[in-house]
Amino acid sequence: MKTGLTLVSIAVKNLSRKIIRTTLLLLAVTVVTGTIFAATLFISSMQNALKIGTYRLGADVLVVPEKNLAEARSALLAGEPASFYMDKSVLEKVRQVEGVKEATPQLFIKPASFVCCYNVDVFLVAFDPATDFTISPWLEKNIKKPLTGNEVIAGRSVPVIAGDTIPFFGTPFTVAGTLEPTGMKFFDRTVFMTMDAAYAMAANSKTRAVQPISIDRDKISAVLAKVQSDYTPDRVAIRIDHDIDGVKAIASDEVMNTVRKQLSGLISGILIISAIVWVLALLMMGFAFYMIVNERQREIGLLRAMGAKKRHVFRLIITEAVIISTMGGVCGLIGGAAILLTFKPLILHSLKLPYLLPSPEVLTELVLGTLLFSMLIGLLGSLLPAISAGRMEPYEAIRKGE
Amino acid sequence: MIEITDITKTYTIAGKKVVAVGKASFTVERGEIVSIIGHSGSGKTTLLSLIGGLTKPDSGTVVINGNNIWSMNDDDLSDFRNKTISFIYQFASLVPTLTVFENIMLPATFGVHGEDTAGYARHLCDVVGLSDKMQSYPSQLSGGQQRRVAIARAFVTNPAIVLADEPTGDLDEETEVEMIRFFRKINEEKGTVFIIVTHSTDLAKQTGRHLKMSNGIVTSV
Repeated sequence: MKTGLTLVSIAVKNLSRKIIRTTLLLLAVTVVTGTIFAATLFISSMQNALKIGTYRLGADVLVVPEKNLAEARSALLAGEPASFYMDKSVLEKVRQVEGVKEATPQLFIKPASFVCCYNVDVFLVAFDPATDFTISPWLEKNIKKPLTGNEVIAGRSVPVIAGDTIPFFGTPFTVAGTLEPTGMKFFDRTVFMTMDAAYAMAANSKTRAVQPISIDRDKISAVLAKVQSDYTPDRVAIRIDHDIDGVKAIASDEVMNTVRKQLSGLISGILIISAIVWVLALLMMGFAFYMIVNERQREIGLLRAMGAKKRHVFRLIITEAVIISTMGGVCGLIGGAAILLTFKPLILHSLKLPYLLPSPEVLTELVLGTLLFSMLIGLLGSLLPAISAGRMEPYEAIRKGE
Repeated sequence: MIEITDITKTYTIAGKKVVAVGKASFTVERGEIVSIIGHSGSGKTTLLSLIGGLTKPDSGTVVINGNNIWSMNDDDLSDFRNKTISFIYQFASLVPTLTVFENIMLPATFGVHGEDTAGYARHLCDVVGLSDKMQSYPSQLSGGQQRRVAIARAFVTNPAIVLADEPTGDLDEETEVEMIRFFRKINEEKGTVFIIVTHSTDLAKQTGRHLKMSNGIVTSV
């Protein structure tokens, strides 16, 4: 019969002494960890989605008609389908602006009605394969050929697979491939086609579609520009605004900044609440372990009489606290993730912002970081009581505990 | 083996200095069983704690096997206690969340001991008549049974010195006789020193030497 008695096993057994107190401490850490984890995962997911979205956009500056700025932002950030047009000559003017390295046009088309069988709002975006630097690199990498004729690329949320045929404005299109998910509706619910195909679709819609669309060949919706390496997107955007009448340039950084501004109040609130709850849990843990050490004075004295060193007593108390806080941390991680996943649709609906889980590496960092925070509650909360327990003179501890 | 020289311990209670132990000096040789008798509050328990390294004397020395225990640092003194000294208290001193067997093994957790400590712990369980209660928890035992577990625990590390404070207080007469017999057996086989604080004249009579304590002063009887 081996006892396998160690400080850790003694600490684990000690936790069963006052089960209600242990449960309350565990719950406190669970709530704190759950809050912190859900908050950081939420923030990180949004930032990740924006980062991927901005990267996918592939452009440093987006130029849109000044009067349609709000619609353009809404399209980019919330993926709201929109149709707006400006003269194609803007493309050439943008190319002439100092600091612009290359520029390509795009057409944004809001379908009047989608195909018969799918109940998903889609957004049509047409690009110019000759000058495009946003979709084309992806095509080269994944499909290994440019789009031809009536081929389209679909975002992940569009319920189609490669080879499917879907009609727009009476013209059937073949799905050449689908994009990986980004969490941004702008990409996930978009069908990409060439500008030639889009112009032809519009021209044919007069005879083929119930609700035809009209797009002149000298119209575009936006110009996407890359800036030269020694220029910043902000600076070039200001220059475009200044040099070209009737347009508004949005720097890709600005997209992030706009969202950051939208989120900053929310993030601050979440962080402040998390910090307050964390400190309260720390105080609660400290107070509980102060009581525990007081209750066990005699026992601590007896352990010292048996030969336990100060560090044994210190470690015993700390281990108990860290076990509680680690268990609470794990429960909090599971609870936080469950709550976030449960309420994700509600959150996304109310914020109208993109959302995408961070990469496994970032997720691992978040999990470990949150777990560390929860363990710190136990470690820091029990530190003073543990030091005081270790410092007790054995005989005094035994006498006071009587 | 144990040389106690001019050991003094005072406490301040309500602003008044109280001498718990006053300039006590005596020696105990290997293999001796010494009893200390005296009224409540005469300083007997404090004296045991001074000898056992649980409380520091105001003055005087306690030398055990040539080591002045109060010149050791705390870690060394803890090690010394773990290997050399055991205590039996006058109150239930078991850890409530550990089983009988785990309670007996507890001192071995804090130091390096022989390989078959667990085997010896089982033997001790048998000696104190609790071999069928090894997996029981203290709350499932009577006061006398708990006391027997504490006695078994005191011997698990094979200490050279056992300091016992009213060791048979909760035991019935028959068990008390058995325990004293066990003490004598250990004493004869291993030369273990016993210093026993007791009110029981029967127990005191079975020890080789008697010391009396009154108002912190130790005298030979």
